[in-house]
Amino acid sequence: MSDSKNSTCDEQAFDQFFKSHAKLLRSYLYYKFGDLDQAEDIVQDSFIKLWNNCTKVPLDKAKSYVYTIATNLGISIARHQQVKFKHQNYITQRKSDVTNESPEFVMLEKEYMEKLKNAIADLPDRQREVFLLSRIDKKTYREIAELSNVSVKAIEKLMHKALVTLRKKIGNI
Amino acid sequence: MFDDKKDDIFLSRWINGELSPEELHEFQSHPEYEYYMKIMAGADALNLKAYDVDTALNTIKSRRNTSSQKSTKPVIKLWPYLAAAASIVIIFGLFLFNSNDSFTTSFGEQLAVTLPDGSEMILNAKSEASFDKKNWDTNRTVSLDGEAYFKVKKGSTFTVTTTNGDVSVLGTEFNVQSQASFFEAVCYEGKVSVSSGQENTILTAGKGYRKIARIASENWTFEALEPSWITNTSSFRSVPLGYVFKELEDQYNITIDTKSIDTDIIYTGTFPNNDIDVALKTVFSTLGLQYQLLQDGKTVVVEN
Repeated sequence: MSDSKNSTCDEQAFDQFFKSHAKLLRSYLYYKFGDLDQAEDIVQDSFIKLWNNCTKVPLDKAKSYVYTIATNLGISIARHQQVKFKHQNYITQRKSDVTNESPEFVMLEKEYMEKLKNAIADLPDRQREVFLLSRIDKKTYREIAELSNVSVKAIEKLMHKALVTLRKKIGNI
Repeated sequence: MFDDKKDDIFLSRWINGELSPEELHEFQSHPEYEYYMKIMAGADALNLKAYDVDTALNTIKSRRNTSSQKSTKPVIKLWPYLAAAASIVIIFGLFLFNSNDSFTTSFGEQLAVTLPDGSEMILNAKSEASFDKKNWDTNRTVSLDGEAYFKVKKGSTFTVTTTNGDVSVLGTEFNVQSQASFFEAVCYEGKVSVSSGQENTILTAGKGYRKIARIASENWTFEALEPSWITNTSSFRSVPLGYVFKELEDQYNITIDTKSIDTDIIYTGTFPNNDIDVALKTVFSTLGLQYQLLQDGKTVVVEN
Protein backbone atom coordinates (compact mmCIF):
# COMPACT_ATOMS: atom_id res chain seq x y z
CA MET A 1 0.00 0.00 0.00
CA SER A 2 1.98 2.95 -1.23
CA ASP A 3 -0.91 5.36 -0.74
CA SER A 4 -0.58 5.84 2.98
CA LYS A 5 -3.67 8.04 3.31
CA ASN A 6 -5.88 5.18 2.22
CA SER A 7 -4.05 2.64 4.34
CA THR A 8 -4.97 1.56 7.85
CA CYS A 9 -1.22 1.41 8.49
CA ASP A 10 -1.23 5.21 8.63
CA GLU A 11 -1.33 6.13 12.30
CA GLN A 12 -3.68 9.08 11.87
CA ALA A 13 -6.01 7.24 9.56
CA PHE A 14 -6.16 4.36 12.00
CA ASP A 15 -6.92 6.64 14.96
CA GLN A 16 -9.61 8.39 12.99
CA PHE A 17 -11.10 5.10 11.93
CA PHE A 18 -11.09 3.78 15.48
CA LYS A 19 -12.75 6.88 16.91
CA SER A 20 -15.54 6.82 14.39
CA HIS A 21 -16.33 3.10 14.62
CA ALA A 22 -15.27 1.67 17.97
CA LYS A 23 -18.24 2.93 19.94
CA LEU A 24 -20.89 1.51 17.66
CA LEU A 25 -19.01 -1.77 17.31
CA ARG A 26 -18.92 -2.00 21.08
CA SER A 27 -22.68 -1.44 21.34
CA TYR A 28 -23.34 -3.84 18.51
CA LEU A 29 -21.30 -6.61 20.15
CA TYR A 30 -22.83 -5.94 23.53
CA TYR A 31 -26.39 -6.15 22.25
CA LYS A 32 -25.53 -9.24 20.24
CA PHE A 33 -23.59 -11.22 22.85
CA GLY A 34 -24.85 -9.69 26.08
CA ASP A 35 -21.65 -8.81 27.92
CA LEU A 36 -20.29 -5.26 27.76
CA ASP A 37 -16.82 -5.99 29.21
CA GLN A 38 -16.41 -8.83 26.81
CA ALA A 39 -17.58 -6.58 23.97
CA GLU A 40 -14.88 -4.05 24.82
CA ASP A 41 -12.24 -6.80 24.82
CA ILE A 42 -13.41 -7.99 21.43
CA VAL A 43 -13.27 -4.41 20.09
CA GLN A 44 -9.63 -4.19 21.22
CA ASP A 45 -8.70 -7.55 19.73
CA SER A 46 -10.41 -6.80 16.43
CA PHE A 47 -8.70 -3.44 15.96
CA ILE A 48 -5.33 -4.92 16.90
CA LYS A 49 -5.90 -7.54 14.27
CA LEU A 50 -6.73 -4.83 11.78
CA TRP A 51 -3.49 -3.01 12.64
CA ASN A 52 -1.42 -6.18 12.26
CA ASN A 53 -2.97 -6.85 8.86
CA CYS A 54 -3.12 -3.20 7.76
CA THR A 55 -1.12 -3.85 4.61
CA LYS A 56 -3.79 -6.26 3.40
CA VAL A 57 -6.87 -4.26 4.40
CA PRO A 58 -7.53 -0.95 2.63
CA LEU A 59 -9.44 1.68 4.58
CA ASP A 60 -12.66 1.29 2.62
CA LYS A 61 -12.75 -2.41 3.51
CA ALA A 62 -11.68 -1.91 7.10
CA LYS A 63 -15.16 -1.51 8.56
CA SER A 64 -16.55 -4.78 7.26
CA TYR A 65 -13.23 -6.44 8.13
CA VAL A 66 -13.43 -5.34 11.75
CA TYR A 67 -17.11 -6.26 12.07
CA THR A 68 -16.48 -9.71 10.62
CA ILE A 69 -13.53 -10.36 12.92
CA ALA A 70 -15.43 -9.09 15.94
CA THR A 71 -18.56 -11.09 15.18
CA ASN A 72 -16.56 -14.26 14.69
CA LEU A 73 -14.70 -13.68 17.96
CA GLY A 74 -18.00 -13.10 19.73
CA ILE A 75 -19.51 -16.25 18.26
CA SER A 76 -16.55 -18.39 19.23
CA ILE A 77 -16.72 -17.06 22.79
CA ALA A 78 -20.48 -17.43 22.94
CA ARG A 79 -20.14 -21.02 21.78
CA HIS A 80 -18.21 -21.79 24.95
CA GLN A 81 -20.33 -19.85 27.40
CA GLN A 82 -24.01 -19.15 27.19
CA VAL A 83 -24.24 -15.53 28.26
CA LYS A 84 -27.53 -14.18 29.45
CA PHE A 85 -27.92 -10.58 28.45
CA LYS A 86 -26.48 -8.49 31.29
CA HIS A 87 -27.99 -5.06 31.81
CA GLN A 88 -27.07 -4.33 35.43
CA ASN A 89 -24.60 -1.45 35.66
CA TYR A 90 -24.41 -1.29 31.88
CA ILE A 91 -27.70 0.23 30.86
CA THR A 92 -28.57 3.24 32.93
CA GLN A 93 -31.37 5.71 32.91
CA ARG A 94 -30.75 9.13 31.49
CA LYS A 95 -31.06 11.81 34.15
CA SER A 96 -34.53 13.21 33.92
CA ASP A 97 -34.64 16.99 33.58
CA VAL A 98 -38.05 17.07 35.19
CA THR A 99 -37.89 16.06 38.85
CA ASN A 100 -41.02 17.69 40.19
CA GLU A 101 -42.88 14.37 40.19
CA SER A 102 -44.43 12.91 43.32
CA PRO A 103 -42.36 10.23 45.16
CA GLU A 104 -44.95 7.58 44.26
CA PHE A 105 -44.59 8.42 40.61
CA VAL A 106 -40.79 8.25 40.83
CA MET A 107 -41.08 4.89 42.56
CA LEU A 108 -43.43 3.65 39.90
CA GLU A 109 -41.10 4.94 37.22
CA LYS A 110 -38.17 3.14 38.78
CA GLU A 111 -40.17 -0.05 39.01
CA TYR A 112 -41.31 0.36 35.44
CA MET A 113 -37.79 0.97 34.14
CA GLU A 114 -36.54 -2.15 35.92
CA LYS A 115 -39.30 -4.16 34.34
CA LEU A 116 -38.56 -2.68 30.94
CA LYS A 117 -34.85 -3.50 31.19
CA ASN A 118 -35.61 -7.07 32.18
CA ALA A 119 -38.03 -7.41 29.30
CA ILE A 120 -35.38 -6.12 26.91
CA ALA A 121 -32.82 -8.55 28.31
CA ASP A 122 -35.28 -11.39 27.67
CA LEU A 123 -35.89 -10.40 24.04
CA PRO A 124 -34.71 -12.78 21.33
CA ASP A 125 -31.13 -11.80 20.39
CA ARG A 126 -31.87 -10.25 17.00
CA GLN A 127 -34.86 -8.25 18.25
CA ARG A 128 -32.85 -6.90 21.17
CA GLU A 129 -29.92 -6.03 18.94
CA VAL A 130 -32.10 -4.03 16.56
CA PHE A 131 -34.22 -2.43 19.28
CA LEU A 132 -31.22 -1.18 21.29
CA LEU A 133 -29.23 0.00 18.27
CA SER A 134 -32.26 2.02 17.33
CA ARG A 135 -33.19 3.36 20.77
CA ILE A 136 -29.86 3.75 22.58
CA ASP A 137 -27.47 4.39 19.70
CA LYS A 138 -30.12 6.24 17.69
CA LYS A 139 -29.22 4.38 14.52
CA THR A 140 -31.57 4.46 11.57
CA TYR A 141 -33.03 1.24 10.21
CA ARG A 142 -30.78 1.60 7.18
CA GLU A 143 -27.63 1.90 9.28
CA ILE A 144 -28.63 -1.12 11.37
CA ALA A 145 -29.38 -3.10 8.24
CA GLU A 146 -25.90 -2.37 6.87
CA LEU A 147 -24.23 -3.62 10.05
CA SER A 148 -25.62 -7.12 9.73
CA ASN A 149 -26.02 -7.17 5.94
CA VAL A 150 -29.79 -7.58 5.83
CA SER A 151 -32.56 -5.56 4.21
CA VAL A 152 -34.14 -2.51 5.82
CA LYS A 153 -37.45 -4.34 5.69
CA ALA A 154 -36.03 -7.13 7.83
CA ILE A 155 -34.93 -4.61 10.43
CA GLU A 156 -38.37 -2.96 10.42
CA LYS A 157 -39.99 -6.32 11.02
CA LEU A 158 -37.63 -7.10 13.88
CA MET A 159 -38.30 -3.69 15.42
CA HIS A 160 -42.06 -4.20 15.21
CA LYS A 161 -41.73 -7.66 16.73
CA ALA A 162 -39.50 -6.37 19.51
CA LEU A 163 -42.12 -3.82 20.50
CA VAL A 164 -44.93 -6.37 20.45
CA THR A 165 -42.83 -8.76 22.56
CA LEU A 166 -42.01 -6.04 25.07
CA ARG A 167 -45.65 -5.02 25.29
CA LYS A 168 -46.62 -8.61 26.12
CA LYS A 169 -43.82 -9.00 28.69
CA ILE A 170 -44.53 -5.79 30.54
CA GLY A 171 -48.28 -6.09 30.80
CA ASN A 172 -50.55 -3.31 31.91
CA ILE A 173 -48.56 -1.03 34.14
CA MET B 1 -53.84 -6.41 17.17
CA PHE B 2 -50.30 -5.35 16.35
CA ASP B 3 -48.89 -8.83 16.05
CA ASP B 4 -51.16 -9.66 13.14
CA LYS B 5 -49.46 -10.51 9.92
CA LYS B 6 -51.07 -7.83 7.78
CA ASP B 7 -48.76 -5.02 8.75
CA ASP B 8 -45.70 -6.45 10.41
CA ILE B 9 -43.80 -3.17 10.34
CA PHE B 10 -46.59 -0.95 11.63
CA LEU B 11 -44.85 -0.10 14.90
CA SER B 12 -41.56 0.49 13.12
CA ARG B 13 -43.21 3.00 10.88
CA TRP B 14 -44.87 4.60 13.89
CA ILE B 15 -41.51 5.04 15.64
CA ASN B 16 -40.06 6.58 12.52
CA GLY B 17 -43.06 8.86 12.12
CA GLU B 18 -43.99 7.30 8.81
CA LEU B 19 -47.65 6.66 9.60
CA SER B 20 -50.22 8.56 7.59
CA PRO B 21 -52.28 11.08 9.63
CA GLU B 22 -55.29 8.73 9.49
CA GLU B 23 -53.26 5.77 10.68
CA LEU B 24 -51.73 7.79 13.48
CA HIS B 25 -55.11 9.12 14.55
CA GLU B 26 -56.60 5.69 14.61
CA PHE B 27 -53.64 4.33 16.62
CA GLN B 28 -53.79 7.20 19.12
CA SER B 29 -57.39 6.40 19.92
CA HIS B 30 -56.54 2.71 20.41
CA PRO B 31 -56.27 1.55 24.09
CA GLU B 32 -52.87 -0.01 23.40
CA TYR B 33 -51.41 3.31 22.33
CA GLU B 34 -50.53 4.58 25.80
CA TYR B 35 -48.70 1.33 26.66
CA TYR B 36 -46.56 1.59 23.54
CA MET B 37 -45.94 5.26 24.25
CA LYS B 38 -44.70 4.32 27.70
CA ILE B 39 -42.36 1.62 26.34
CA MET B 40 -40.93 4.08 23.85
CA ALA B 41 -40.51 6.78 26.49
CA GLY B 42 -38.78 4.32 28.80
CA ALA B 43 -36.57 2.94 26.02
CA ASP B 44 -35.54 6.38 24.89
CA ALA B 45 -34.52 7.22 28.46
CA LEU B 46 -32.09 4.30 28.47
CA ASN B 47 -28.41 5.00 28.23
CA LEU B 48 -25.42 2.76 27.75
CA LYS B 49 -22.46 3.08 30.10
CA ALA B 50 -20.12 5.65 28.62
CA TYR B 51 -17.25 4.52 26.46
CA ASP B 52 -13.90 6.26 26.76
CA VAL B 53 -12.72 6.04 23.19
CA ASP B 54 -9.33 7.68 23.83
CA THR B 55 -8.44 5.33 26.66
CA ALA B 56 -9.48 2.38 24.56
CA LEU B 57 -7.35 3.62 21.67
CA ASN B 58 -4.32 4.05 23.96
CA THR B 59 -4.78 0.53 25.29
CA ILE B 60 -4.78 -0.77 21.76
CA LYS B 61 -1.67 1.21 20.86
CA SER B 62 0.20 -0.13 23.85
CA ARG B 63 -0.91 -3.64 23.08
CA ARG B 64 -0.37 -3.70 19.36
CA ASN B 65 3.40 -3.27 19.67
CA THR B 66 3.64 -6.53 21.53
CA SER B 67 0.65 -8.05 19.88
CA SER B 68 2.51 -9.83 17.16
CA GLN B 69 3.87 -12.13 19.85
CA LYS B 70 0.68 -12.02 21.83
CA SER B 71 -1.57 -12.99 19.00
CA THR B 72 0.60 -15.91 17.99
CA LYS B 73 1.34 -17.09 21.50
CA PRO B 74 -2.01 -18.64 22.31
CA VAL B 75 -1.90 -20.65 19.11
CA ILE B 76 0.26 -23.48 20.35
CA LYS B 77 0.72 -26.07 17.67
CA LEU B 78 -0.60 -29.28 19.08
CA TRP B 79 0.91 -31.84 16.75
CA PRO B 80 4.55 -31.64 17.91
CA TYR B 81 3.37 -32.40 21.42
CA LEU B 82 1.12 -35.14 20.18
CA ALA B 83 3.98 -36.61 18.19
CA ALA B 84 6.26 -36.48 21.20
CA ALA B 85 3.61 -38.05 23.41
CA ALA B 86 2.93 -40.74 20.82
CA SER B 87 6.66 -41.52 20.52
CA ILE B 88 6.95 -41.93 24.25
CA VAL B 89 3.97 -44.26 24.27
CA ILE B 90 5.43 -46.28 21.39
CA ILE B 91 8.88 -46.48 22.98
CA PHE B 92 7.33 -47.56 26.26
CA GLY B 93 5.20 -50.06 24.42
CA LEU B 94 8.21 -51.56 22.64
CA PHE B 95 10.12 -51.70 25.89
CA LEU B 96 7.29 -53.20 27.90
CA PHE B 97 5.92 -55.68 25.45
CA ASN B 98 9.01 -56.79 23.59
CA SER B 99 11.77 -56.83 26.17
CA ASN B 100 10.42 -59.97 27.73
CA ASP B 101 8.83 -62.11 25.08
CA SER B 102 6.72 -65.01 26.12
CA PHE B 103 5.22 -67.74 23.96
CA THR B 104 2.65 -70.32 24.93
CA THR B 105 1.15 -73.22 23.05
CA SER B 106 -2.13 -74.90 23.84
CA PHE B 107 -3.30 -78.48 23.37
CA GLY B 108 -2.08 -79.97 20.10
CA GLU B 109 -0.38 -76.74 18.98
CA GLN B 110 3.13 -76.15 17.71
CA LEU B 111 4.80 -72.80 17.47
CA ALA B 112 7.99 -71.87 15.64
CA VAL B 113 9.74 -68.85 17.09
CA THR B 114 12.75 -67.09 15.59
CA LEU B 115 14.93 -65.71 18.34
CA PRO B 116 16.62 -62.28 17.98
CA ASP B 117 19.93 -63.73 16.72
CA GLY B 118 18.23 -65.96 14.14
CA SER B 119 18.21 -69.08 16.26
CA GLU B 120 15.05 -71.12 16.01
CA MET B 121 12.85 -72.53 18.70
CA ILE B 122 9.93 -74.84 17.99
CA LEU B 123 7.51 -75.27 20.87
CA ASN B 124 5.57 -78.51 21.24
CA ALA B 125 2.01 -78.65 22.62
CA LYS B 126 1.21 -77.26 26.08
CA SER B 127 4.54 -75.55 26.47
CA GLU B 128 5.66 -72.11 27.51
CA ALA B 129 8.91 -70.31 26.78
CA SER B 130 10.08 -66.80 27.54
CA PHE B 131 13.26 -64.82 26.99
CA ASP B 132 14.62 -61.34 27.45
CA LYS B 133 14.80 -59.73 24.02
CA LYS B 134 16.54 -56.58 25.21
CA ASN B 135 19.58 -58.33 26.64
CA TRP B 136 19.63 -61.12 24.12
CA ASP B 137 23.06 -60.21 22.72
CA THR B 138 24.76 -60.70 26.06
CA ASN B 139 22.45 -63.24 27.59
CA ARG B 140 21.03 -65.95 25.36
CA THR B 141 18.73 -67.57 27.88
CA VAL B 142 15.31 -69.12 27.38
CA SER B 143 13.09 -70.22 30.23
CA LEU B 144 11.14 -73.30 29.26
CA ASP B 145 8.27 -75.25 30.70
CA GLY B 146 7.24 -78.11 28.41
CA GLU B 147 9.05 -79.26 25.30
CA ALA B 148 10.93 -77.40 22.61
CA TYR B 149 13.41 -78.05 19.83
CA PHE B 150 16.24 -75.58 19.33
CA LYS B 151 18.44 -74.78 16.35
CA VAL B 152 21.03 -72.45 17.81
CA LYS B 153 23.20 -70.12 15.76
CA LYS B 154 26.86 -70.00 16.75
CA GLY B 155 27.65 -67.34 19.32
CA SER B 156 27.80 -66.89 23.05
CA THR B 157 26.53 -69.58 25.35
CA PHE B 158 22.91 -70.44 24.74
CA THR B 159 21.10 -71.64 27.82
CA VAL B 160 17.71 -73.21 28.31
CA THR B 161 16.65 -73.04 31.93
CA THR B 162 13.95 -75.26 33.33
CA THR B 163 12.85 -76.14 36.82
CA ASN B 164 14.56 -79.49 36.43
CA GLY B 165 17.92 -78.29 35.13
CA ASP B 166 19.74 -76.25 32.54
CA VAL B 167 20.98 -77.09 29.06
CA SER B 168 23.64 -74.86 27.56
CA VAL B 169 25.38 -74.92 24.20
CA LEU B 170 27.45 -72.86 21.84
CA GLY B 171 25.60 -73.57 18.61
CA THR B 172 23.73 -76.71 17.79
CA GLU B 173 20.38 -78.40 17.47
CA PHE B 174 18.82 -80.02 20.45
CA ASN B 175 15.53 -80.91 22.07
CA VAL B 176 14.62 -80.20 25.68
CA GLN B 177 11.62 -81.63 27.45
CA SER B 178 10.88 -80.67 31.00
CA GLN B 179 7.71 -81.61 32.80
CA ALA B 180 6.76 -82.05 36.42
CA SER B 181 9.46 -84.62 37.18
CA PHE B 182 10.58 -85.56 33.70
CA PHE B 183 13.64 -84.01 32.15
CA GLU B 184 15.07 -84.96 28.79
CA ALA B 185 17.65 -83.36 26.53
CA VAL B 186 18.55 -84.75 23.15
CA CYS B 187 21.36 -83.40 20.98
CA TYR B 188 21.01 -83.54 17.20
CA GLU B 189 24.04 -81.53 16.18
CA GLY B 190 27.11 -80.10 17.87
CA LYS B 191 27.58 -80.41 21.58
CA VAL B 192 25.39 -79.60 24.56
CA SER B 193 26.05 -79.48 28.23
CA VAL B 194 23.29 -80.68 30.55
CA SER B 195 23.26 -79.96 34.24
CA SER B 196 20.59 -81.37 36.49
CA GLY B 197 21.04 -81.07 40.20
CA GLN B 198 24.54 -82.29 40.92
CA GLU B 199 24.93 -84.03 37.58
CA ASN B 200 26.70 -82.51 34.62
CA THR B 201 26.68 -84.33 31.29
CA ILE B 202 28.12 -83.48 27.89
CA LEU B 203 26.03 -84.70 24.96
CA THR B 204 27.43 -84.93 21.45
CA ALA B 205 25.37 -85.34 18.27
CA GLY B 206 23.10 -88.38 18.42
CA LYS B 207 23.17 -88.62 22.21
CA GLY B 208 20.34 -88.18 24.66
CA TYR B 209 20.01 -87.62 28.38
CA ARG B 210 17.01 -88.26 30.55
CA LYS B 211 16.16 -88.04 34.21
CA ILE B 212 12.85 -89.20 35.56
CA ALA B 213 11.93 -88.77 39.21
CA ARG B 214 13.02 -91.67 41.43
CA ILE B 215 14.75 -93.36 38.51
CA ALA B 216 18.43 -92.94 37.87
CA SER B 217 19.38 -90.75 34.94
CA GLU B 218 20.35 -92.46 31.72
CA ASN B 219 22.07 -91.76 28.43
CA TRP B 220 21.43 -93.29 25.04
CA THR B 221 22.26 -92.86 21.41
CA PHE B 222 20.02 -92.54 18.37
CA GLU B 223 20.17 -91.69 14.69
CA ALA B 224 17.25 -89.25 14.05
CA LEU B 225 18.08 -85.82 12.64
CA GLU B 226 15.33 -83.99 14.52
CA PRO B 227 12.75 -84.91 17.12
CA SER B 228 9.81 -86.87 15.76
CA TRP B 229 7.19 -84.43 17.13
CA ILE B 230 8.35 -81.86 14.62
CA THR B 231 6.74 -84.12 12.01
CA ASN B 232 3.65 -84.70 14.16
CA THR B 233 4.69 -87.94 15.75
CA SER B 234 5.36 -88.47 19.43
CA SER B 235 7.91 -91.14 20.10
CA PHE B 236 8.98 -92.74 23.36
CA ARG B 237 11.88 -94.90 24.28
CA SER B 238 11.57 -96.76 27.58
CA VAL B 239 9.41 -94.13 29.22
CA PRO B 240 7.04 -94.79 32.13
CA LEU B 241 3.48 -94.98 30.83
CA GLY B 242 2.37 -91.97 32.90
CA TYR B 243 4.45 -89.64 30.71
CA VAL B 244 3.11 -91.21 27.56
CA PHE B 245 -0.41 -90.53 28.78
CA LYS B 246 0.62 -86.99 29.68
CA GLU B 247 1.78 -86.45 26.11
CA LEU B 248 -1.46 -87.91 24.75
CA GLU B 249 -3.43 -85.57 26.98
CA ASP B 250 -1.37 -82.53 25.88
CA GLN B 251 -1.65 -83.30 22.19
CA TYR B 252 -5.36 -84.07 22.11
CA ASN B 253 -6.76 -82.17 25.09
CA ILE B 254 -8.24 -85.31 26.62
CA THR B 255 -8.26 -86.84 30.09
CA ILE B 256 -7.13 -90.41 30.56
CA ASP B 257 -8.55 -92.24 33.54
CA THR B 258 -5.56 -94.24 34.76
CA LYS B 259 -6.89 -95.45 38.10
CA SER B 260 -7.00 -99.10 37.12
CA ILE B 261 -3.55 -99.36 35.56
CA ASP B 262 0.06 -99.18 36.60
CA THR B 263 1.49 -96.01 35.08
CA ASP B 264 5.03 -97.13 35.83
CA ILE B 265 5.01 -99.68 33.01
CA ILE B 266 7.83 -98.85 30.65
CA TYR B 267 6.70 -98.01 27.16
CA THR B 268 8.54 -97.75 23.87
CA GLY B 269 6.70 -96.66 20.75
CA THR B 270 5.23 -93.78 18.79
CA PHE B 271 1.85 -92.23 18.12
CA PRO B 272 0.69 -89.60 15.62
CA ASN B 273 -0.24 -86.14 16.89
CA ASN B 274 -2.93 -85.50 14.33
CA ASP B 275 -5.23 -88.54 14.55
CA ILE B 276 -6.66 -89.36 17.94
CA ASP B 277 -8.17 -92.73 16.95
CA VAL B 278 -4.92 -94.02 15.54
CA ALA B 279 -2.98 -92.62 18.47
CA LEU B 280 -5.16 -94.27 21.13
CA LYS B 281 -5.26 -97.55 19.23
CA THR B 282 -1.49 -97.56 18.82
CA VAL B 283 -0.75 -96.93 22.47
CA PHE B 284 -3.37 -99.12 24.10
CA SER B 285 -3.30 -102.09 21.76
CA THR B 286 0.46 -102.50 22.12
CA LEU B 287 -0.07 -102.59 25.89
CA GLY B 288 -2.94 -105.07 25.53
CA LEU B 289 -5.39 -102.68 27.22
CA GLN B 290 -9.08 -102.13 26.40
CA TYR B 291 -10.13 -98.47 26.22
CA GLN B 292 -13.15 -96.43 25.43
CA LEU B 293 -13.37 -92.81 24.28
CA LEU B 294 -16.47 -91.40 25.93
CA GLN B 295 -19.05 -89.50 23.91
CA ASP B 296 -17.85 -86.09 25.05
CA GLY B 297 -14.65 -86.88 23.10
CA LYS B 298 -12.62 -85.71 26.07
CA THR B 299 -12.35 -88.66 28.40
CA VAL B 300 -10.71 -92.04 27.87
CA VAL B 301 -11.61 -94.85 30.23
CA VAL B 302 -9.10 -97.69 30.40
CA GLU B 303 -10.29 -101.21 31.32
CA ASN B 304 -7.79 -103.68 32.49
